Amino acid sequence: MAYRVHCMVCAGTGCVSNKSLEVRDALEKEVRKRGLEDEVQVVTTGCNGFCGVGPLMVVQPDGIFYQALGAKEIPHLVEEHFLKGRPVKKLMYTPPEAPAPVPKMSDIAFFSRQRLVALRNRGLIDPEKIDDYIARDGYRAAAKALFEMTPEQIIEEIKLAGLRGRGGAGFTTGVKWERVRRTPEEPKYIICNGDEGDPGAFMDRSIFESDPHSVIEGMLIGARAIGARHGVFYIRNEYPLALERIQIAITQAREYGLLGENILDSGLDFDVSVTRGAGAFVCGEETALIASVEGRLGDPRARPPYPAEYGLWGKPTCINNVETWANVSPIISNGARWYAEIGTERSKGTKVFSLVGKINNTGLVEVPMGITLRELIYDIGGGIPGGKKFKAVQTGGPSGGCIPAGMMDQPIEHRTGDRKHTVADYLAMPIDYESLTDLGSMMGSGGMVVMDEDTCMVDVARYFVAFTQDESCGACTPCREGTKLMLDILTKITDGHGTMDDLRALEEIAWIVKQTSLCGLGKTAPNPVLTTLKYFKDEYIAHIEAHKCPAHVCRELNTYRIDPVVCVERGHGCGVCKRECPEKAIFGEKNQPHRIDAALCGKCGVCVDVCHFDAVIVE
Amino acid sequence: MISLTIDGMETQVREGTTLLDAAGFLDVKIPTLCYHPWLKPFGACRLCTVEAQRPAGYELLTACNTPCAEGMIIRTDTEHTRAARRLVLEMMLARWPNVPVLRKLAEEIGLERVRFASAQRDEAENACILCLRCVRICEEVVGACAISYEDRGIERRVVTPFDQESEACVACGACTQVCPTSHMRFEAEDYRGRPRDFLLGTNTAVYMSTAQAVPKVPRIDADSCIHFKTGGCRKCAQVCEPQAINHEMLDEEMEVEVGQILVATGYGLFDPTPMVQYGYGRLDDVYTSLDVERMLNSTGPTGGKVLLKNGKPPRAVGILHCIGSRDENHHRYCSRVCCMYALKFAHLIKERCHEAEVYNFYIDMRAFGKGYEEFYMRVQHEGAHVIRGKAAEVVQSPAGKQDGAALLVHCEDTLIGRFREIPVDMVILCNAIEPQRDAGRVARLFGLSRSPDGFFLERHPKLDPVATTTDGLFVAGCAQGPKDIPDTVAQASAAAARMLATISKGVVEIDPVRAEITEEFCSGCRICNALCPYKAIDYVEDKNVSYVNSALCKGCGTCVAACPAGAITGYGFNDRQIYAELEGLLAV
Repeated sequence: MAYRVHCMVCAGTGCVSNKSLEVRDALEKEVRKRGLEDEVQVVTTGCNGFCGVGPLMVVQPDGIFYQALGAKEIPHLVEEHFLKGRPVKKLMYTPPEAPAPVPKMSDIAFFSRQRLVALRNRGLIDPEKIDDYIARDGYRAAAKALFEMTPEQIIEEIKLAGLRGRGGAGFTTGVKWERVRRTPEEPKYIICNGDEGDPGAFMDRSIFESDPHSVIEGMLIGARAIGARHGVFYIRNEYPLALERIQIAITQAREYGLLGENILDSGLDFDVSVTRGAGAFVCGEETALIASVEGRLGDPRARPPYPAEYGLWGKPTCINNVETWANVSPIISNGARWYAEIGTERSKGTKVFSLVGKINNTGLVEVPMGITLRELIYDIGGGIPGGKKFKAVQTGGPSGGCIPAGMMDQPIEHRTGDRKHTVADYLAMPIDYESLTDLGSMMGSGGMVVMDEDTCMVDVARYFVAFTQDESCGACTPCREGTKLMLDILTKITDGHGTMDDLRALEEIAWIVKQTSLCGLGKTAPNPVLTTLKYFKDEYIAHIEAHKCPAHVCRELNTYRIDPVVCVERGHGCGVCKRECPEKAIFGEKNQPHRIDAALCGKCGVCVDVCHFDAVIVE
Repeated sequence: MISLTIDGMETQVREGTTLLDAAGFLDVKIPTLCYHPWLKPFGACRLCTVEAQRPAGYELLTACNTPCAEGMIIRTDTEHTRAARRLVLEMMLARWPNVPVLRKLAEEIGLERVRFASAQRDEAENACILCLRCVRICEEVVGACAISYEDRGIERRVVTPFDQESEACVACGACTQVCPTSHMRFEAEDYRGRPRDFLLGTNTAVYMSTAQAVPKVPRIDADSCIHFKTGGCRKCAQVCEPQAINHEMLDEEMEVEVGQILVATGYGLFDPTPMVQYGYGRLDDVYTSLDVERMLNSTGPTGGKVLLKNGKPPRAVGILHCIGSRDENHHRYCSRVCCMYALKFAHLIKERCHEAEVYNFYIDMRAFGKGYEEFYMRVQHEGAHVIRGKAAEVVQSPAGKQDGAALLVHCEDTLIGRFREIPVDMVILCNAIEPQRDAGRVARLFGLSRSPDGFFLERHPKLDPVATTTDGLFVAGCAQGPKDIPDTVAQASAAAARMLATISKGVVEIDPVRAEITEEFCSGCRICNALCPYKAIDYVEDKNVSYVNSALCKGCGTCVAACPAGAITGYGFNDRQIYAELEGLLAV
């Protein structure tokens, strides 16, 4: 039966927490009430990506994009759009500073500038239905890999495509597969690393939630190429929806004979199991992850031997990130050449970023490698809210670095071997593995936290070091002791007690921790410190020498005073601040200017928040 | 082979060699902390950092766990490695400022000042520095996995599961051995292992039973060997180049057919611990004669030196005779050898510690053998004191009294009729010779009799002191009664001669007096089998009857009387013959 209209209701974690399931139920109810059930199909999809404006719905085939829906608006929407054929303008998305709403999804810059490979099925299929996936050419690549290609050809294709690990380090996937294949020991294992621990990153979760079969298919192809018979999904327990959907997908794939013994009569036996991670950040590190799968403490161990030689249960093991696996089947279907055309010379394909922080369009985007930060933040992200100034962007999660605004328009030096050359023109910095590494940051799994002028970079560094310090496993000295010492120094600085000696020690510790730590966590933990020291040293010095936080974030360094003129003229000495001050540090009578007793002030900032007239000045 | 350069020296190593080992071959010193040769490289402390040359500069690697790779150019002492090591050590000292091993390393690498103070500062000298050697040896080598760590990051601690006393711990002490800060230690400080060297020295599970052992091979004490507790370890097998150690070997029972047996199972020694007045096991430097015999032996734990527990030579030694022998409460007999070996101890101690005073406390000096009396005289001339009077007790000397001697021996000197207190540093207890603990079992096994003192009984104390009441079974040595080496040799030689006489004759003459079983009447009840004191009756399975081995039967008649079926008769003594005898007597 053909439907006239398909309503694709987003059921990603973000939209679900905004009650998108209620919207869906209301929609289904309303459609039945109006007798439209033969004409309008309601589909629950995975994450659409534009999480900032959820709950979302896309009405196909026209591609009308509705945002911020509530169950209340549904009857009106059904009547107007589905009965009268008049899409409802007030529920559509209006870009910042745009005069009118944009009805079509394809016209919204957030979507039009993206290039979907890993997220090719997002919002288009019901993630809990394998038939939907197959209808979108799903498992065709697997069939091709099983019947038309030898394992060597598959590996060659992946190498030619230039696919690099999307987990962060960017190791060439084909080379890793080949290494595992060539290690003589049996059995071999493959693992899907879904332990996405970066705060503010949700790429992997979104792929599991919107298109779990693409990961299973990627692993099936990988199993054929590597010669593995068992695969493991390692997914953190904080992702209940992702876990549920991958379980459903595995059951369905088994029913269809796409997992299990003698897959599609090809003679290949491959099955998968799911291990739930308890949420330790370090378990995203491959050796720690393997330890965790084996039921041991999730501690990393020194490499070599690499998991390709000595992995799960001491056997050769190939670990790839969720996004990497999701990229495999498009490469096999469309060919390496197609894939290699996307991206830059050394970083091919697309990358999913989670765009969060002080940005208008919060959400998940997939863009070609080499896109500039300016395009990503201003064109796709819609710029900074409230007309504030863009200050920096933090990439790669807690162990990434902060890239200052100036870098968007600055040429950067890019070292390849001994040769120095300019990779960027004077207008924009392309995002790829090397350029981010050169800036002292990293691709990481693709977290991108945008910060505006109200962000204190010392505080940012302190926040991320506090995270890595808390997540350090404690095995090696530099990471265990060094992150704690760095945190202590940073706290000292943000509290206004720092000295220039502290700053020098901080830099020294950061460098040594980076160079001597045992695993990736420790090697990258100092990145936020080192990049902020590199690009925002003046802020550190302001904290130390002037005892001022330029962004007024570090409360211990702030002083509060009330502008007597504003207080009287605009606020008539309303006294709200006096009432709310927990320290009773504000004095003054009605219609008289109020003042803050600095000796009593606890620097909590409540007065700033409660003053309707902006009379409280923070300095 | 892999070629690489370390500190400008080219070298070749086998594949899989770590940088640390390769540097070791070249005598290049790299500081280490968490590394231990028995353990798999761990790479946690990061002190062994070295610098590898890379196309774009350098990379810092840890030497302990990085395998050598072809063409590597390694430098172990550069600005970068020094900076890394110093800071790593500085961070550790910021947390554990007083741990000697860290301070020593700081001295070695020239770290003078610690700039930071950790919030987790631990001033203890024996603080745990989280090298995890203990956890690793317990898992990798011992296989007990009794220790682990909990929490993460700065909170990480080495613990037993749930902080409870671990049932998995086999008390092997491996963790205490590898702990660089003595954080791991035995709760009972005087934990002493196995009985080989008695109260002296420490012991290992693999040992040579004596220096002159035959066959001269080491043995494994299965009771203390870690492998037999956890299935792990086997370090000895790893280091044994000829691969001669087989942990799977089991005790073997062998059957050897023999015609005659000489029981020479030796003696046991009286345990003086219950005689609390002498303080054995309670007071330091109270030893038994066998402890001292080991101490005086040049292959013993002290290499033949007479030393106190504190490592100093004694200034006065008391030798207490008749501990457990000639004692109404223990053994009434005389152990015969003590007087002479006590004099020997006196002689040797005088020889080895010229300054030491030696006191013998005796009841009677029994120096009756050839040359013995002369030796007694000689020892007295050498300056050893002999005090007639059994020592009453040994007590801890009150502090500061009696020239600092640790012990006091109380006795009554019967020659001068006075109570005396002799200050000594060391006490030697001449404990009694007694039957082996399992002498009863051996006696039952062979059908031997034992005299009231528990030693095996000879056939006749004067006329046949080597044979027993069972033909073909002989006794010799202290199994038969306390005696010294010359007597033992004489008795054993006599027994051997008796056995050889039988062998050379080729036949065994047996007494005509013996029991016989009439097979038709025997019901196979086997009552006789257990009753026979000479083990002469066997049960024949396939015929379901008992059978008397006439070579063993002494014709005692026990079985004849006991047989419920009347199937056993004395040969030459059946009813008809006895009646005929009676008739003959009565006819006269």
